Amino acid sequence: MNKPAPKPRPVPRPTANTQFFWDAAKRGKLALQYDPDADRYQFWPRAISTATGKRNLEWRETSGKGELYSYTVTHVPTAGFEERTPYVVGLIELDEKVRIIGNVLNVDPDALEIGMRVRVTFETMTDDIDYFAFEPDDG
Amino acid sequence: MAKNFLEAQDVCIVAYGETKIDRRTGKTAYELAAEVAEELFAKTNLAPGDIDGLSFTVPLSECANPFWSNYCADYLGIVPRWLQTTDIGGASAIGNVTRAAMALQNELCETAMLIGSDAPSSKWSAVYGSYRNEFWEPTGIQGPPGAFGLLMNRYRAQYELDFAGLGALAVAQRNGAAVNENAYERFRKKITVDDYLTSREVSTPLRLLDSVMFCDGANGLVMMKTDRARELGFENRVYPFAYSEITNFAGAEQTPDITETGFSVSGPDALAKAGMTPADISMFHPYDDFLIAVMLKLEQIGFCERGRGSQFLRDTDISPTGALPINTGGGQIGCGQPGLAGGGVNLVEAVRQLMGEAGERQVPDPANALVTGIGVIPYGRNWGTSNAMVLVK
Repeated sequence: MNKPAPKPRPVPRPTANTQFFWDAAKRGKLALQYDPDADRYQFWPRAISTATGKRNLEWRETSGKGELYSYTVTHVPTAGFEERTPYVVGLIELDEKVRIIGNVLNVDPDALEIGMRVRVTFETMTDDIDYFAFEPDDG
Repeated sequence: MAKNFLEAQDVCIVAYGETKIDRRTGKTAYELAAEVAEELFAKTNLAPGDIDGLSFTVPLSECANPFWSNYCADYLGIVPRWLQTTDIGGASAIGNVTRAAMALQNELCETAMLIGSDAPSSKWSAVYGSYRNEFWEPTGIQGPPGAFGLLMNRYRAQYELDFAGLGALAVAQRNGAAVNENAYERFRKKITVDDYLTSREVSTPLRLLDSVMFCDGANGLVMMKTDRARELGFENRVYPFAYSEITNFAGAEQTPDITETGFSVSGPDALAKAGMTPADISMFHPYDDFLIAVMLKLEQIGFCERGRGSQFLRDTDISPTGALPINTGGGQIGCGQPGLAGGGVNLVEAVRQLMGEAGERQVPDPANALVTGIGVIPYGRNWGTSNAMVLVK
């Protein structure tokens, strides 16, 4: 709140662990880490399973579908969001039972409802990065 | 029940200090630390050479320096035999009281000075790492207000949130700030519930008057063993009596109920260690980065039923002479938040009240205070550290 700056939207810098996620995003897929020992997914990506403490994790491409767990309409933009203010930031519960924060696009903020179905979509940021967002999933 | 290492009241607080809270002072956290240290030396008639224990919170304005506490000891001319910097954000203030108590009990030091000092409205040096660059900042989420906007909207989906109750809290805290000389001067005027309800939306449903504003300032305490305090003639003593802390609550869960916070653990635990129930608490000094955080604490510590926090605030007299005085000095939302020294605003007001020095906002003869801290905004949950301390006279 205290430091609005006329900077561009931050661009992710993939790490050794997260490169798969961004490569999948470039293919239009939302990838999640899956822990076969605990039979569960986790997000955000880490180099360890928070369930088992092991590094035995696989990447799986998912359907990118889920429901809106909560949302907020942002009136004070962060860097690079000035042109689209007000904009919606959602907390989405994916069908794989993890939560992910992302913009909810292509929707009137007044039409948002907690529990509504959403699906992933992507916005091109750079040659290397397509950034995930969500939009209403009408089935 | 877990052992309560504070119940013997063998360590105590003998003095508190606090600078005026102001915005864009151009001062550094070192300079503000010097201001509060001077006040603490003067009140206790101690000199830098008398202090052998020293603790700090991490300043947003100086955290690029990995040796902040060492540099600040040098700045103040203090030669500590026990030195501690605590990085649990706004939970660090009461966290440091506990850590100092352990150091004093175990004779690592005899006289401890606890300082919180920060100047984030003048200088910013924090870079967070971990998930932030890839999965937080590019989403455009408006930092803590964005996270609390998500939390408030989820709460509204599960419970009834009466905004007039949050407004009553906003009004009560501003009433405190209006009579608090250390509050940010622009905030020293009263507001109405309607002012709250119509204030600018920041991250809907969160409004401007739900929120703290970053300022500059410092606060601190002097602590020692009770026997030594008696020998040195410190008659006005306040005792840390019970403490509980939890960090990364629900941190390994992928889909927790985000309206459930670590205070559901640390609040009842602190009260149980004190042998108290919420009805025994004379006054409540909760860490207040956002109004709804205070409301959730009321529910989860047990002052009211789950889901009834806003109605409780609407229907309860929370003024200094009321049934449950809350943040009588204005809290951080009323006074301005001196960065990561912010937890000290609530703590110092509790100590000031227990010492009977709160002037026209004095709570009549309080026997105790419950003080809380909150630290860190995690990804898609509520907050990182939840701690609670009972102080007694």
